[in-house]
Amino acid sequence: MSIVKSVTCPICGCLCDDIELTVEKNEVVKVRNGCAICESKFLGYKGHHRIKTPLMRKDGKLVPVSMDEAVHAAAEILANANYPILYGWSSTSSEAQRIGVELTEEVGGIMDNTAVVCHGPSILGVQEVGIPTCTLGQIRHRADLIIYWGCDPWSAHPRHLERYTSFTEGRFENSQWKSYMQKLKAQAGQKKLESAARIEIGSTHPKPQTCTLPGMPQSMNKSGRKLIVVDVRKSMSAEMADYFIQVQPNKDYELMQALRVLITDGELDVDSVAGVPVEYLKDVANALVNCEFGVIFFGMGLTQTAGKFRNIEIAIQLVRDLNSRTKFTIMPMRGHFNVTGANIVSAWQSGYPYGVDFSMGYPRYNPGETTCMDVLLREENDASLVIASDPGANFPKKAVENMIKHPLIVIDPHMNATSMLGDIVFPSAFVGIEVEGTAYRMDHVPLPLKKVVEPPKGVFSDEEILTRILNEVRVIKASSKKLSKKVDA
Amino acid sequence: MIVLSPLRKFTFPVNAECINPDVFQGKDIAEIGKLPLFEGNKQKKLGELFKIEEDNQDTPSITIDGDISEVRRIGMGMKSGEILINGNVGMHLGEKMSGGKITVNGNVAQWAGSSMKKGSIEIHGNASDYLASPYRGSTEGMKGGRIIVDGDVGADSGAYMRGGLIKIKGSNTGQFLGFHMGNGTIHVEKNASTRLGANMTGGKIIVSGTVDELMPSFTIDSVKAKVKVDEAESAAGPFYVFLGDLAEKGTGKIFVSKANNPNLKSYEKFL
Amino acid sequence: MPEVIIKNGFVFDPLNGINGEKMDISIKNGKIVEKVTHKAKVIDATGLTVMPGGVDIHTHIAGGEVNTGRMVRPEDHVKDTVTKTAMTRSGTGYSIPSTFVTGYRYSQMGYTTVMNPSMAPLEAKHTHEELNDIPLLDKATYPLIGDWWFVLEYLKKGDLKECARHVAWMMEITKGYAIKIVNPGGLESWGFGHNVHSIDDVVPNFCITPREIMVGLAKVNEMLNLPHSIHLHTNNLGLPGNYSTTLETMKALETVPYHGKPVAHITHLQFSSFGGDSWGNFKSAAEEVANYINTHNHMTFDMGQIIFTDTTTMTADGPFEYTLYQLSGHKWVNSDVETETSGGIIPFHYKKNNAVNATQWSIGLELALLIKDPWKMMMTTDHPNAGPFSFYPRILAWLTSKDARMATLKNCHKKAQKNSLLPSIDREITLYELAIMTRAAQAKALGLKNKGHLGVGADADVAIFNINPETTDIARKYKTARKAFKNAAYTIKDGQIVVKDGEVVGKADGRTMWLNVETTEPCRIDDEMKNKFRQYWTVDYENYPVSDHYVKVKDPITIKASV
Repeated sequence: MSIVKSVTCPICGCLCDDIELTVEKNEVVKVRNGCAICESKFLGYKGHHRIKTPLMRKDGKLVPVSMDEAVHAAAEILANANYPILYGWSSTSSEAQRIGVELTEEVGGIMDNTAVVCHGPSILGVQEVGIPTCTLGQIRHRADLIIYWGCDPWSAHPRHLERYTSFTEGRFENSQWKSYMQKLKAQAGQKKLESAARIEIGSTHPKPQTCTLPGMPQSMNKSGRKLIVVDVRKSMSAEMADYFIQVQPNKDYELMQALRVLITDGELDVDSVAGVPVEYLKDVANALVNCEFGVIFFGMGLTQTAGKFRNIEIAIQLVRDLNSRTKFTIMPMRGHFNVTGANIVSAWQSGYPYGVDFSMGYPRYNPGETTCMDVLLREENDASLVIASDPGANFPKKAVENMIKHPLIVIDPHMNATSMLGDIVFPSAFVGIEVEGTAYRMDHVPLPLKKVVEPPKGVFSDEEILTRILNEVRVIKASSKKLSKKVDA
Repeated sequence: MIVLSPLRKFTFPVNAECINPDVFQGKDIAEIGKLPLFEGNKQKKLGELFKIEEDNQDTPSITIDGDISEVRRIGMGMKSGEILINGNVGMHLGEKMSGGKITVNGNVAQWAGSSMKKGSIEIHGNASDYLASPYRGSTEGMKGGRIIVDGDVGADSGAYMRGGLIKIKGSNTGQFLGFHMGNGTIHVEKNASTRLGANMTGGKIIVSGTVDELMPSFTIDSVKAKVKVDEAESAAGPFYVFLGDLAEKGTGKIFVSKANNPNLKSYEKFL
Repeated sequence: MPEVIIKNGFVFDPLNGINGEKMDISIKNGKIVEKVTHKAKVIDATGLTVMPGGVDIHTHIAGGEVNTGRMVRPEDHVKDTVTKTAMTRSGTGYSIPSTFVTGYRYSQMGYTTVMNPSMAPLEAKHTHEELNDIPLLDKATYPLIGDWWFVLEYLKKGDLKECARHVAWMMEITKGYAIKIVNPGGLESWGFGHNVHSIDDVVPNFCITPREIMVGLAKVNEMLNLPHSIHLHTNNLGLPGNYSTTLETMKALETVPYHGKPVAHITHLQFSSFGGDSWGNFKSAAEEVANYINTHNHMTFDMGQIIFTDTTTMTADGPFEYTLYQLSGHKWVNSDVETETSGGIIPFHYKKNNAVNATQWSIGLELALLIKDPWKMMMTTDHPNAGPFSFYPRILAWLTSKDARMATLKNCHKKAQKNSLLPSIDREITLYELAIMTRAAQAKALGLKNKGHLGVGADADVAIFNINPETTDIARKYKTARKAFKNAAYTIKDGQIVVKDGEVVGKADGRTMWLNVETTEPCRIDDEMKNKFRQYWTVDYENYPVSDHYVKVKDPITIKASV
């Protein structure tokens, strides 16, 4: 039995690197410091969905084949394709992603990653206006106003607040954990009183849920860190906030633009924006301008609602404008643990962060044109390789239908929605558990991922699988070049 | 003069920058047939994808008959000449053109007329997203020329416009029409969608039909009886005139038909 | 490894005093040797100029900031695409080339060693991952240490020795090469949106001044015996009238004990030599700065020469980049790094018809021409800040040819033309001096013993150019010279021909160099330090260092410190 410390968790963009694992007989048996999702991955990765050997579809069924056969078949498909897509990349290491770029360039296809269904709009917004941002430690040390807009860290990034924002100790700001605990106690006390009152009076109807905005509460005047959550519904994160602002769905753009006018003491011709009375917005504007260091974290609530990348653009412009009054930053809550890395690796090797089209021999980038979702919906592709992601589960139905009309190569540890649809399936080892590598946190900080156990026999790393396919593609292309030379001669 | 007909339906994108009157100029059919282009990741010759014939002198420099919705970058950067397309055409049509004329009897895909400098594009069908809008990260919007669309227009069109005229006759325009516009005119003969003129700093947008909602960062300035669309044409009002975008300290103007937008009556109290 | 002999070229090797002598250069096993056998491959360099491979002391080519720059400028890349060949990977260029293209383009110009001058220690792994993907060049990188909390705290305490030990530790675990200081005190202040405005301003929360930081680290540098001096980006960079801050800085560094080796290097000096007191009366202070430099020997410098084009600025000087945003309104990236540093990126277009830009252009050249000793002033553009490195040949033409300078000046804004000193400067840098400013001086300042020269034992990094010094007057034929410097006739890396006639013909990874600094007493890496680590950073102590895994081809240099 051994204890491995300072393990980096391979789940979400938080990339918590203080996980402690107890390993016994090549299995992780205990997880310390991790959130529920972290624990479930480290304890459950060996489940019965694990693929044990390479598979190929023959007569409609996936049957075990040798690695050589699978590699050769995959390489043939890619080498001969006219417009292949190589998609995913977000749950593997930067070392594997680098080979991915090389392979995509070699086969003249598109390299795209899961940002295309997630924070791609954030990248597009940044490309329009830049981004005033920082590493998470700056937030921890300095931020006294923390805003989560269109995201729910309680559910999706569970340790975000305790490691980086409201509930952590910094050099210049303290944790608000105690204050939050007191608030919970008070709420529990209040709830008990209310339920007692109901029993007393004999009323069986619960009080109607009011969604009207109560205006800025007193808690926003306290010293220390303040937490604001902006969302269309009262999420679990909103329950923790000092101030919850409920915004009408698809109206975040208008709300942010209104704030931009208000923070410069401008006047609006309207009484409310996005369901929020302008007088409350003026209080919000004051809070924004009067903090020492503010931050907006945002998620799909902005990237995937009406406006998409323009929502991010306006959020960044708001933060940018605030910098003329105080210090303010903004950061996207990246999902997959290495989607940031996929963008980074793609950018340093090609110049572009995702949706990179190598079909003309040099990198081209134009989301909407060269992103795989759009290529699939227009049925332009003729082969796909999917790695470290599950588009079968989360792409629009039409895109998946079009994807499986053509050969589909899948590299994944698990039998999931995508691998079930694959024509060639390679079982891969888990990065951060069975294979070491590097990942990039949501704030672009690189962290090492450890290998704590051995992968199952016959299961290789993404790096090895990709390298083998790349080498085989080169062999096939070289011999077909020779052949065509002979034919021409 | 030259008539192109696609030899088959294209499934993979065809990047055909060579289909351009300036490029065809002075070349015979054989030479035109040898012009290089890409279909997917395969380098091909124009003659492998299109039937190329010569027509009489009076017809446009290039006529294309057939569905070429996968053919992109036609007329890119063209300085003169005419292109007539009888069918639906792919992305980046007439991008950065600085002269000449393109007519489409069909629909156009995204980025038609992107960063146009001069010339004219007439679309007798629908335009898609990003009409006249510049490339990612660039602020070089349409500088001059005219784009007329008989049908609808998609989202994010006319972004960063700096000059010229866009006329939209169809009943639907996407969000963010005229985004960050600095100069020039956009005339929507029917209905405009939300976030019209967001981040606008100058120029004018005229809506003769309805608009769902205006950005809260626009303020009502006046009511005007009519407004000039270009040298030849005026639009009849009366129009509410809105000034904005206040968030950019902009002095752009949005003219909205008073008669067709009773929902905007509440602004009158600020006049 | 094969033997190579470069025959009959005009050799310029200033570190060995060779000035255009016709001689042979012999190479064996990747090193310069006395002689080789008759089996050696012959490169006929008759009528050609032979120099050591170029060394660039300051060029932003790898890491978090550079890459964010790439990510936010797709409209820059689309102007300059690079197609894959059998020998080379594809990529994009213009102001922030992708990694492969960076390697190819430098090599095509005869460069063989480059220094990435800005690395946030927390993001060091990223820098090294990118350096691995820059082919054909040897490289190293400088960690940003000037505003590191441990440095600020120990210097405040006056504990130079403990500061030195921490710096040694930092240098080793980030696999760095030199102490980089940017706007000292300003970056920590920027953490809350403030800045420092003089070298005696007090940094909020840390009670230390920029003067104390610079002098302290210069002394630390001495104690550690690091091969390069401190590498300094001055306070008030980019602001009108800042030359007085630069003079004060240089004077402050006179207090550091000088033992014949420079105590500091001020980088991209052009940006720190501004006169006037507003953009309205902006003017050059190159003469004042050059006068000081001509009478003091304790420092070295590099130019930061402006190129008139649309480029991208990127520095760790967060507050300065914000100022540029306020001036230009362009898209602005800010990236502060906890405990360590800050950073900013903004596109910038230097225009001839802009009086300020044109004057800046003149400043860089005035400095280079007025500073008498070419060993003090090295050629750079602070790529990509003042311009992309692929424009270097233009600068070489401006330096060596008054005609070239005048041809550009006459298209500049009238005000800049009127105020420029260039019409009164006749000096034309010779080929020998050029070799000093682009390779010999850089290697010497960096303490790279086997670079920048062609003496026996040096690395066989050689650049051969299509210039016959006997028949071509580069001062008159500057367009020919420019072309020759743009596409080397040969670039040889470790004895292998990697570029021929400006085309990449060979593959080589290049090495990454870094310092393993051995202090007599090691830094107390014990529980107390690890605990403090957890308080200061959001990563675990164990995950912070750059392991050997991150360097493809390792070239560590062991340094013995005096502390």
